[in-house]
Amino acid sequence: MATDVRSKEQLPQGVGRFSAGWKVFIALAFVVFAFGVFAYTRELSNGMVETGMRDVGTMGGATWGIYIAMVVYFIGVSFAGITVAALIRILRLEKLRSIARMAELLTVVSLILGALAIIVDLGQPVRGVINLFRYARPQSPFFGTFSLVIAGYLFASLVYLYLGGRRDAAVMAKYPGRLQWFHRWWAAGYEDTEEERERHHKSSFWMALAIVPLLIIAHSTLGFVFGLQVGRPGWYGTLQAPAFVALAGVSGIGHIVILSAIIRRVLRAEARITEAVFAWLGKILLLFLAVYVYFMSVELFTLLYATPEVEKRLSDALISGEYAWIYWGSVAVLVIPMAVLAWQALNRRWNVGLLVASGVLVNLGAIGKRYLIVVPSQTHGTLLPYEVGSYSPSWVEYGVVAGLFALGALLIGLFIKAFPVLPIDEGEEVMSRA
Amino acid sequence: MRKTWTWVTILIGVVLMIIGYFGSAPWGAAGVRNSDPRFSFAPALFVVGVVIAFSAALVYELLPRRRR
Repeated sequence: MATDVRSKEQLPQGVGRFSAGWKVFIALAFVVFAFGVFAYTRELSNGMVETGMRDVGTMGGATWGIYIAMVVYFIGVSFAGITVAALIRILRLEKLRSIARMAELLTVVSLILGALAIIVDLGQPVRGVINLFRYARPQSPFFGTFSLVIAGYLFASLVYLYLGGRRDAAVMAKYPGRLQWFHRWWAAGYEDTEEERERHHKSSFWMALAIVPLLIIAHSTLGFVFGLQVGRPGWYGTLQAPAFVALAGVSGIGHIVILSAIIRRVLRAEARITEAVFAWLGKILLLFLAVYVYFMSVELFTLLYATPEVEKRLSDALISGEYAWIYWGSVAVLVIPMAVLAWQALNRRWNVGLLVASGVLVNLGAIGKRYLIVVPSQTHGTLLPYEVGSYSPSWVEYGVVAGLFALGALLIGLFIKAFPVLPIDEGEEVMSRA
Repeated sequence: MRKTWTWVTILIGVVLMIIGYFGSAPWGAAGVRNSDPRFSFAPALFVVGVVIAFSAALVYELLPRRRR
């Protein structure tokens, strides 16, 4: 029994220990988050007039702005996390096992942020949510986005994260300390018997099998929110759903690369998150990027080739008009990382720094492309005889979006101090006991 | 017993999804004016069904062993 008594200092992966650097990070994230909450209170008390959004056509604006662009972006980021986690389970990719929990965490956090980004876009959020559950129609892609993405997908990801962490929670629950109650609750009586392992193996395999098609449907549904709107040039098209899935993969894998590099550095986990892991991530990112750049090229050629009048107005705005700097900027930060990744793949030598830079760039590109999907079709794509409109986000919108990013950083930062973000392996457990 | 309860949970989830779907989808409605859900919060029932179906994994793993 005496050997089971462990001091708080022995908790693996720095759980429960708060370094000065971590405190500064959390304090900064909290300040930005608080600013976001303040900005949102302005919007709640004074109404949507605090934002840059205005009616389409009559007021020459856009009713969907940066918030909806961020909904699409955050939900896109969630795609890769659970995909990687599920594929590790289904295809038994043992090399990537060390980043599985990180990927699951990223999915849960980004889905929460995606849900909040929808809420902040509603002028009357309570009424909006209640009416959605009262009157939503299943044929509507909005309904699919809420029911499959926010409810089903988030819940499934939480269950997957929870069940996958029970073994480590049982290990952590043996350590006395302030977090012992939490680890005991998470372990829920798990004893790591052969029977329990077998049971978890089965349930996680079937969950992974159920989640993969669900997430393809969910992300395609999000694409259909735009792609099925017949009267909106720029949105209506068959490429929207597959392009949404491809760009979701790009932004999500990019985030996993960044998060893996940060965790590797902070926890000094070079032996766990090896260069082979980054090589895998680099190849997957390259694959998604190549597919998306292909879709992007097809879209560009279609826009340039004998487009009807309204589409021409929209394509001019994108390619050489007021949105051109975002369009070509996004293309550049997607194509350059693709070239860098391809070069590394051909040489079979992967540089973590270059991969992280690629991860950052593709995410900037993804945000730009999401913005371009949402906004220009409203300001320049109306079929009615209105003048061309414009939209620029207000400081309130920028503040709320910054607050959402800060909330994500806070959730991840707090999680890694409450629970091991890398699965505890046998050796690590023995070392901790020593 | 564990498998039985797991399947029962999945079944409850799927049944709720079906009731929620057909309760909120206006299949067979005479026109757009009659296209509201057939009963209040039918869409919520669909969402609850999805959540319950995925809870089957929790039932399968967390259900305590039978005492002998």
